Amino acid sequence: MKIAVTVKIVPDTTAEKKIDAATKRLVRTGMNLVMNPYDEYALEAALRLKEQLGADTTVTVVSMYPENGKETIRRALAMGADDAYLISDAALEGTDAWGTGVVLGAALRKIGFDLIICGGLSDDGTTGAVPGALAEDLGVPGIANVRHIESAQGSLKVQCETDNGYQVVNGPLPALISVTMAVGEPRYPSLKGIMGAKKKPITTFTVAELDVAGAAGAANAKTELLSFAPPAGRGKGQVVKPDDSAQGARVIFDYLKERKLV
Amino acid sequence: MSDVIIFVEQRGGHTRKVTFELATEARKVADMLGGKAHAVVLGGGAPALAEQLKGYPLDVVHVNDDADVDTYLAEPEVDYVEALARELGSSIVLVPNTMHGRDIGSRVAARLKTGIVADVTDLKLEDGKLVCVAPKLGGAFITSSAFKNTEYGVVTVRPNAFAAEAGGAGATVQPIAKPAGKTYVVKIESHVEEAAAEIGLEEAAVIISGGRGLGSAEPFDSVLKPLAKAFGGAVGATRAVADAGWVPYSMQIGQTGKTVSPRLYIAFGISGAIQHKVGMSTSGTIVAVNTDAGAPIGEFADMLVVANALEVATELTRLVEANRSA
Ligand SMILES: Cc1cc2nc3c(=O)[nH]c(=O)nc-3n(C[C@H](O)[C@H](O)[C@H](O)COP(=O)(O)OP(=O)(O)OC[C@H]3O[C@@H](n4cnc5c(N)ncnc54)[C@H](O)[C@@H]3O)c2cc1C
Repeated sequence: MKIAVTVKIVPDTTAEKKIDAATKRLVRTGMNLVMNPYDEYALEAALRLKEQLGADTTVTVVSMYPENGKETIRRALAMGADDAYLISDAALEGTDAWGTGVVLGAALRKIGFDLIICGGLSDDGTTGAVPGALAEDLGVPGIANVRHIESAQGSLKVQCETDNGYQVVNGPLPALISVTMAVGEPRYPSLKGIMGAKKKPITTFTVAELDVAGAAGAANAKTELLSFAPPAGRGKGQVVKPDDSAQGARVIFDYLKERKLV
Repeated sequence: MSDVIIFVEQRGGHTRKVTFELATEARKVADMLGGKAHAVVLGGGAPALAEQLKGYPLDVVHVNDDADVDTYLAEPEVDYVEALARELGSSIVLVPNTMHGRDIGSRVAARLKTGIVADVTDLKLEDGKLVCVAPKLGGAFITSSAFKNTEYGVVTVRPNAFAAEAGGAGATVQPIAKPAGKTYVVKIESHVEEAAAEIGLEEAAVIISGGRGLGSAEPFDSVLKPLAKAFGGAVGATRAVADAGWVPYSMQIGQTGKTVSPRLYIAFGISGAIQHKVGMSTSGTIVAVNTDAGAPIGEFADMLVVANALEVATELTRLVEANRSA
């Protein structure tokens, strides 16, 4: 079975984010880049499936990034993916969720797949729209919010998270699923994995090679960012050191009462 | 001119408060754009819910209790919403920013080859354009976006961001035809309820949240739940406690969990790590109880009470319950 995992390269969550006033985009230069944390879970789910299903299962990582993101993608290979495809082209700068679905779709049609696993959200955009857009572009069944893969041999049986529990869902392959972090904690690359990753193939596609010029870049995007601003800051509040817990509770109660919250 | 369509997330005739928030906001947006406000209600129980929606300021409620909607995942709903959007022409689709809502919204957007603006907390008209306001990067920035190159737009709306107000002249309820020639393959076998919360975390007006400082799983049920109940709210948690197996992941708030913005957020024994903060820092009032006066949560909470979380929660529950019955 051929599993493909989509991976987004994002600025480190813990780093302070800046937006360029001219381009209105996130400043990426000088930022420590990481794999979108949700995608690490997607990769983990893929690697666990590979361990279950045996040697003829492969895990391929597919990523779209305007600049050269090879170093970040190496981590995915070090975790255990077999190979990677990078769609790397300056023309991709400013591509929106719809466009990303089209670009990834074109790459995946070339690469081939039985199962695509995506992270449920991206850490910088949090639109969560790419998995749906990609499934629609490829015309394959899409199953969102997967928290556990029960089986993936011949067909799929998964648990999908809902607002108050989960539902058991089944469907055919090929398909696309997007996972939540309940699928299992991502592994750390082993030393052997890190060494081995250097020899694993990374293939690069350009926008022209994929014939997706009509979907790439800010000019084709269906949304535009008009403005951004830091919110009216939420400063440090008051610190209360009560004599005992009962007084602590009383202080909170009175505060909530004053704010008409109880 | 553009119409507005709201996608109603429901099961068995039951829906969440966010539906009524969408119905209220749809009217305002439709008036801004000079169009009509529509709702689509699908699946078992839809007709009863459609009747209930008549009390909100919509123009047309389209209804079909198609059993396929309950049997097959997402796809039938996407087909109906797409079909209605194409029939109406230029339109804005509003879906709730919930797990299912985002799924539907992203596919409808792809079908209509249009954009999607996620987690929107305000909608306004500027220079003839619909402007969608959304906090991004964990509330670090407030963005304004608009649609371009398209006659459609999809907006996922953050629960609790808009008021729900009944009113209007009474919508027309009419059947919507099942889209023809579709076959469905992704089947829902069963539903399992874990956190039988009546109120979803994302729409709760009050969230009582617990972290590792509560010491064990037990107080989530025995103390936080009654406290949340007394407030009419819901219980949330940090990833550390979800990882520890104290609560299901569906209760986790933060970067890799849910994003919430209740009117009141009380954090018991939560350190306030950045990954937790980004999921809740847009809450109205934040109160924290932590034994460590230097806990990071003190940097953004309106009030930090330096005390034992479990004891304070227990006592606060007593006070709030007494106040309610008074
Ligand atoms: C990629 C990634 C994604 C993540 N996503 C999330 C996420 O979505 N959500 C999330 O929450 N976390 C997330 N985390 C984890 C996050 O970094 C923190 O580890 C986590 O939020 C800590 O949870 P906590 O506050 O319960 O525990 P701790 O950090 O251990 O804090 C416990 C707090 O309780 C206090 N305390 C101890 N005893 C008592 C007592 N008796 N009474 C009162 N206070 C007491 C302590 O002073 C401390 O401040 C993520 C981490 C990573 C790396």
